[in-house]
Amino acid sequence: MIEAFSIAELATKVQSGAVSATEVAHDVIARIERYNGRFNALVSVEPARILAQAAAVDQKRARGEALGALAGVPIAIKDAICTEGESTTAGSKILRGYAPPYDATVIAKLRKADALLTGKTNMDEFAMGSSNENSAYGSAKNPWDDTRTPGGSSGGSAAAVASRMALGALGSDTGGSIRQPASLTGTVGVKPTYGRVSRYGLIAFASSLDQIGPFATDVRGSARLLEVIAGHDGHDATSLNVPIDGYELACSASLKGLRVGVPEEYFAEGLSPDVEGSVRAALARLESDGCIITPIKLPHTRFAVATYYVIATAEASSNLARFDGVRYGLRVASPSLGEMYGATRDAGFGKEVKRRILLGTFVLSAGYYDAYYLRAQKMRTLIRRDFEEAFKKVDVIASPTAPTTAFKLGEKADDPLAMYLSDIYTLPASLAGVPALSVPCGADQGGMPIGLQLVAPPLQESRLFTFASAVERHYAPTLPTGVQ
Amino acid sequence: MTGPAIDRARLEHIAKLSALSLHDDEVDQLGRDLSAIVNYVDALASVDLTGVPPTAHVQFEASPWRADDVVAGLTREQALSSAPQVEHDGFAVPVFLEGAS
Repeated sequence: MIEAFSIAELATKVQSGAVSATEVAHDVIARIERYNGRFNALVSVEPARILAQAAAVDQKRARGEALGALAGVPIAIKDAICTEGESTTAGSKILRGYAPPYDATVIAKLRKADALLTGKTNMDEFAMGSSNENSAYGSAKNPWDDTRTPGGSSGGSAAAVASRMALGALGSDTGGSIRQPASLTGTVGVKPTYGRVSRYGLIAFASSLDQIGPFATDVRGSARLLEVIAGHDGHDATSLNVPIDGYELACSASLKGLRVGVPEEYFAEGLSPDVEGSVRAALARLESDGCIITPIKLPHTRFAVATYYVIATAEASSNLARFDGVRYGLRVASPSLGEMYGATRDAGFGKEVKRRILLGTFVLSAGYYDAYYLRAQKMRTLIRRDFEEAFKKVDVIASPTAPTTAFKLGEKADDPLAMYLSDIYTLPASLAGVPALSVPCGADQGGMPIGLQLVAPPLQESRLFTFASAVERHYAPTLPTGVQ
Repeated sequence: MTGPAIDRARLEHIAKLSALSLHDDEVDQLGRDLSAIVNYVDALASVDLTGVPPTAHVQFEASPWRADDVVAGLTREQALSSAPQVEHDGFAVPVFLEGAS
């Protein structure tokens, strides 16, 4: 049933009583039983909780109370976001069995909007990866071809939405972890402005970059989700106290005369011809809608991967110090405290996490701090300035989201650097803190989805929704073959 | 500048700083992976960054002050609820003072 609806349509049906939240819950549970074994998108599901939430929504309606913007809409939650009393592991062995004593702010907001939280989604351990292969639960699979990656790190959220085990999902994006999986699975994914959404209750990876954002089956659904989760929160000092625009309203705004910048650096070596062809065709359609397409330069793009992997790993090495076997998670019993730390972290962390903690510790260590960490922070300034300059000339920047469509599971697993380079188009916006979105714009010769990335100036998410809706009007993906 | 290869001694030093015990069979591979990444990152050295201020954190608006109100935090029971080991209403850890037992 739910696969026939968008988020807005289903919420309207539940609000009007045409469909009960309990009917939705039963349908969601059936779809999870049918598809999750194949796609491994959800790592923990508690059917009784889904049914209890649905019953509460139905009772609220029966009492004559108005239902929220996400009434009865099934939303899957990345396993890095705390849900009270429910398993929250960030895809790591070190947190196996952990059930937080509180809800993240975004979770409280979803509950208040009467959403049905359907379970926790698979992810690269601590959000470190671009393919979901670094998960302690094994990789999620791409619903369009289950021998391929759904992307990462929020791969399970993307796969859950693509296979309609949920109509929306929350992910977190540190360097592309929402946009790249959205691109690879034919879904819409949004990384809001740094500070737009509270991170209270998000298990931290790199605090100067992390941002929670939505996935949805369509642009309007992602806009509605962002409207629900955005806003200032006293529990997160980095969350901004600024007005939230009408994102859903922005989906139907005119884009006549607006300027779209196309950065030449994003159409360089390594870009698949199918991806380039689809993105350029989508840009031509925007031009026929009345947009002005302008070539622009983001000259420091080629340094983004190096800059990001210094800054993100440095911050991660500090953030992940909290996993020490004392307050939560795994402990490996040892005779002394020092040995307990080492043994616990060795047993609990996977290979990529160890690699990044070690790299981050190295770039911060005496003798290397200036050469690596400080230098990367300076380069980050130049990357930010690239965007500031570009946005003097254009309203939004458009590019491919990822250089290729979904690659085969295992293809890059043994080459960390090759994996890092696949993030080249999403990292710069993360470093600049500006909002960005991926919207489906086509498919390659094998039928695998292609995403177009839109980047806007700080706090101008509305523009993303306006442009993405135009892209979507020309091209909306069907359900993956093999998913009904 | 050529990147310092991460040799075994350096890797063991970083691992100690990171509170990570490494296995013998992973040390060589980790050293190779990290050296490759560090060599790639050395591209940053090719740019003159004199006079460029560092960005530690992107801030678009002033951080709002929160009201100076007393609000409830986690209770002791909640805070201890996930601990691997609890003793005397606190987090229990192995001995860490020399000579203690």
